[in-house]
Amino acid sequence: MMPPQDHIPSRYAILPYYATAAVSFVLIGFLCLLSAQAFTDHYFQPKLLAITHLAVLGWATMVIFGASNQLAPVISEQRLYSEKIPVAVFLLKLSGMAMLVTSFWNFSFTWVAFAGGGLLLLSFLLHAYNLFATIKKADSNIINDFILTAHVWLILTAIIGLMLLINLRFPFLPEDHLHYLKLHASIGMAGWFMQLVVGVSSRLVPMFLLSQKEEKKLLTITFYAFNLSLILFLMEGMVFKSTLGRPLYLLIFLIGITCYLRYIWQCHKTAMRKQTDQGMKQTFLALFLLSIPFLLLLFILFAGNKIPVQVFTAYGFAYFFGFISVIIMAQTFKTLPFIVWMHIQKPNQLPELMPKDLFNERWVKWQMLLYLPGFLLFLAGILLQHVLLLYSGSVLMIVAAAFYCFHVFRMLLKLKTK
Amino acid sequence: MIPELTDKYYKEKFTVLNALHQVNDPELNINIVDLGLVYAVEVTDRDINVDMTLSTRSCPMGGMITAHAKLAVEEAMPGYTVVINLVWEPKWNADKISEEGKALLGW
Repeated sequence: MMPPQDHIPSRYAILPYYATAAVSFVLIGFLCLLSAQAFTDHYFQPKLLAITHLAVLGWATMVIFGASNQLAPVISEQRLYSEKIPVAVFLLKLSGMAMLVTSFWNFSFTWVAFAGGGLLLLSFLLHAYNLFATIKKADSNIINDFILTAHVWLILTAIIGLMLLINLRFPFLPEDHLHYLKLHASIGMAGWFMQLVVGVSSRLVPMFLLSQKEEKKLLTITFYAFNLSLILFLMEGMVFKSTLGRPLYLLIFLIGITCYLRYIWQCHKTAMRKQTDQGMKQTFLALFLLSIPFLLLLFILFAGNKIPVQVFTAYGFAYFFGFISVIIMAQTFKTLPFIVWMHIQKPNQLPELMPKDLFNERWVKWQMLLYLPGFLLFLAGILLQHVLLLYSGSVLMIVAAAFYCFHVFRMLLKLKTK
Repeated sequence: MIPELTDKYYKEKFTVLNALHQVNDPELNINIVDLGLVYAVEVTDRDINVDMTLSTRSCPMGGMITAHAKLAVEEAMPGYTVVINLVWEPKWNADKISEEGKALLGW
């Protein structure tokens, strides 16, 4: 079965998310430039907390929510359960994010911060409910499992985040704040982002490459490895307040990653489409960049007690601004042109334009040629605590983000002219 | 896919296939005939039935591709009732792609 025409969700359920994410991406670049000095200090400080939450909520999660509203009807072969919920989620998420990020930036934890955190949690619950209600009728498969479970981890991440926020003003947690902060960050990175990227890419990569063989068993191993290691990690951290088992959980998680990469490799090896476009090349680049935060994490776990604080900052930065940002930049031009095209194109009219006509493949390449050195310079600046590298890296990242943003809006404006 | 010269409806089938050549897969930008997605064309005095498949079951563009295939055939063969049947057997694979299609895919 394939989705009938009336299963295409309304543009308002998807496009505001992409537009806001693109603007946030530029804003993040500017905030990095303004706060370059802060990246040489400890990671727990106002500017870094604000930038991290803008990157996570305004950029990465924003695109993911928009894309999942488009993808859920495709994978479930059902209409999106509600098209009003995504509009409400967008407004709640945007206002919650603005309140939370400004509170972090000013390091002021009044009702604004708590209300912001509450609105965000509510938006996540509503979004997850809409996806569950859309997908529940579909046949059970491992890709749906990844997507739905990722949302459970997102909600857990947000609950711990809200607890941390309250703890800053009214301390009540038994262990020190940073202990829970690490749990919050790790389950967000691994449970939400990693699991969602694995789930969505496992559907999209073979589809884009026209792969003849998909070893779904590998994905099943990945799914159980990810969730087992995350549950053990969370239980140990929350209940036993210990960190002793972390190398074991990382090992289990790495088994999951290895199986996923093997699945992607099989898809690539059996691809009928031999010419890969920029979107797919950059997706593979993102997977390669994943090795940087993993190497840093191994260093953190096994280098003993005297780990320089900038290694923690570099680890988080490499994950979000390397792996996550590059995969989003790449997949934007594998998904958004089609979404826009489906809203421009009428089924009762043969197309004058194709999705590839809505964007410029060479620009996609140039965006990355600007972004990648910017990211690497900034990462080197964090590790070496070198402000000049941080400034030059952030300037390149701003130029790349502005280019990306212009490209996205150029596509979105085609809807107005058609 | 070339209709038999001896086929009573050779001319009509040829016209239908020509029309389907105008319909491109939006992701690959290759027409659905060269991609081997069109399995069969049946023509009678009033009806045209096209059996076709998609490169993947959950193709998000599936609805649009089949709608465009129907439209292209209706425009080329006015007066006929056109039905596009989406089939999943036999499963689509690389052997079904024409030489032109393979060249466009970078083989």
